[in-house]
Amino acid sequence: MSSLVSAATNHKQNALLATVVAEIRESFRAKWFFLYALIFGGAIILLLALGITESQVLGFTGLSRLLVTYIQLCVAILPIFVLVTTVRTVVGDRESNVLEYILSLPISLAAYYWGKLLARFLIVFLPVFLALSGALFWGAVKGLSIPWTIVGYYSLMLAALAWSFLGTGMFISTLVRKQEWALGLAFLVWLTLLLFIDVILIGVLLQNQIMEEVIIGIALLNPLQAFRTGAILLFDPELSLLGPASYVILDNFGKTGFLLYSIIYPLGLGWGFSWLGFKVFQKGDLV
Amino acid sequence: MIKLTKIEKSFGKQLVLDSLGLEIKPGDRIALIGQNGAGKTTLIRTLLGQYTHQGLLSVFGVNPRQQRVDVLQKIGFVPQHSPPIQMSVKELIAFSDSLSAQSIIDKVRDLAAKLEFDVQQEGSKPFYKLSGGMKQKLLISLAMSRRPDFLIMDEPAANLDPPGRKAFFGELSCLPKQTAMLLSSHRVDELLPLVNRIIEMDCGRIVQDERTTDSVADGKLLNCQLQISNENEAIRKTLSSWRFSNGTEPGHYSGEVAEADRMRFFNDISHFSNHIQELNLEAS
Repeated sequence: MSSLVSAATNHKQNALLATVVAEIRESFRAKWFFLYALIFGGAIILLLALGITESQVLGFTGLSRLLVTYIQLCVAILPIFVLVTTVRTVVGDRESNVLEYILSLPISLAAYYWGKLLARFLIVFLPVFLALSGALFWGAVKGLSIPWTIVGYYSLMLAALAWSFLGTGMFISTLVRKQEWALGLAFLVWLTLLLFIDVILIGVLLQNQIMEEVIIGIALLNPLQAFRTGAILLFDPELSLLGPASYVILDNFGKTGFLLYSIIYPLGLGWGFSWLGFKVFQKGDLV
Repeated sequence: MIKLTKIEKSFGKQLVLDSLGLEIKPGDRIALIGQNGAGKTTLIRTLLGQYTHQGLLSVFGVNPRQQRVDVLQKIGFVPQHSPPIQMSVKELIAFSDSLSAQSIIDKVRDLAAKLEFDVQQEGSKPFYKLSGGMKQKLLISLAMSRRPDFLIMDEPAANLDPPGRKAFFGELSCLPKQTAMLLSSHRVDELLPLVNRIIEMDCGRIVQDERTTDSVADGKLLNCQLQISNENEAIRKTLSSWRFSNGTEPGHYSGEVAEADRMRFFNDISHFSNHIQELNLEAS
């Protein structure tokens, strides 16, 4: 009996690993991945070439200055890239009949679904992480001081942000039956979250005079806002860039508390959505 | 082995499988025929555990939706339309191998070679870049290499060239007698020599279920002699595609045709029937 259980466990691990490897290989061949890697890798190279580490803005210089600029880039590009490429995962396989064939093989639904998700995470996070590592290496060669704590937190925050949008993307991918719908929904989610950062919340705050705590609470439910605020906190411990909102955030969370929140919350959100996506996938027609 | 009791499947308001009942026993070689929209593909996908449904479904004693890995270890499937899989040929074989209970890499290579598909030569090509026939040959090799208890094939020989078809029919005949098969097609004539049971579907129901003689088990080959007058390039090309060779006399051709391929062969040579002076066909 125990050997049977062990064989089943081995098979599950094999299937998961096989899916991860197949998905990574497929992504390496895809044009979107090269474009994605080029943008993140190229951005770092461009920033370094432009001498951004030698400039000074708001008191930031060296690698910290580079990271501040990189944050803006990540907020703008990472979520939409992750969403657009992930929402097509299941629905794309379904539309092209690849899913019909793959799921006729003895593979568990969990191995297929989580294998795809895990591979996507590695593929999405790898270029960003390599670009960051490249910048650190360059900084070390140039003799700049390396802000290790900031880099550590920042990497974790980026991973959490990527995971939250991967989970959301996989959820959308299992929910719809057409790629067009998936892409439309992805843009809608991205636009809504992007608008919530500034335009909508400030408008609501001004017009309805709702309690600051409520508005800020809603704002922090947005993973983009959680990431951006957490990233600012790394460089600006008083959050002076945020104005009065900083008091509410720091009073309620504290610096370390909020840094942890900006990592744990998007991770939880990503897990939640990916789990929901799996349930939807498992429950309905597979093809 | 497989039992469906009052299976119903709807897409929206459209009932696609209508209170379907069916039992498949070991050794059943079924031609599943019917018009487009009769429910053939829906039935196949239901058997593979890919659709939710009402009614009772038991495949090897369990429900494929609940114990899909156990069930699918015993099923080989070849789809009608080869999907645009991005993996290379070698990657696809390795992927399939990693999911199988036993290693299949050598078996796939040998089977593919019999179907005139060289895994070594085509190994690095992306699957989706292969020709229709090549894709079909590889998918057939992958499905049959696991020595499944139940083979499901949707228009399996549609894209194969005559030598490929001959080898494919030969391989089917080498399968253990207990292996059950479900071969789906629009045309009964194409499947007739391969099966011992014909099931016709219409509007989601089984409208005909009858047994025929078992002919595929023999894997018969027919010796064919042809005498052609005024042969031309088109005739030579057709006969060459069937691997016929020229005799010593002008216009004389000979070759082998799989019993299962008889109808297709006649159809092919009918294009130059006015050139055929003599035709001799006998079991080899």
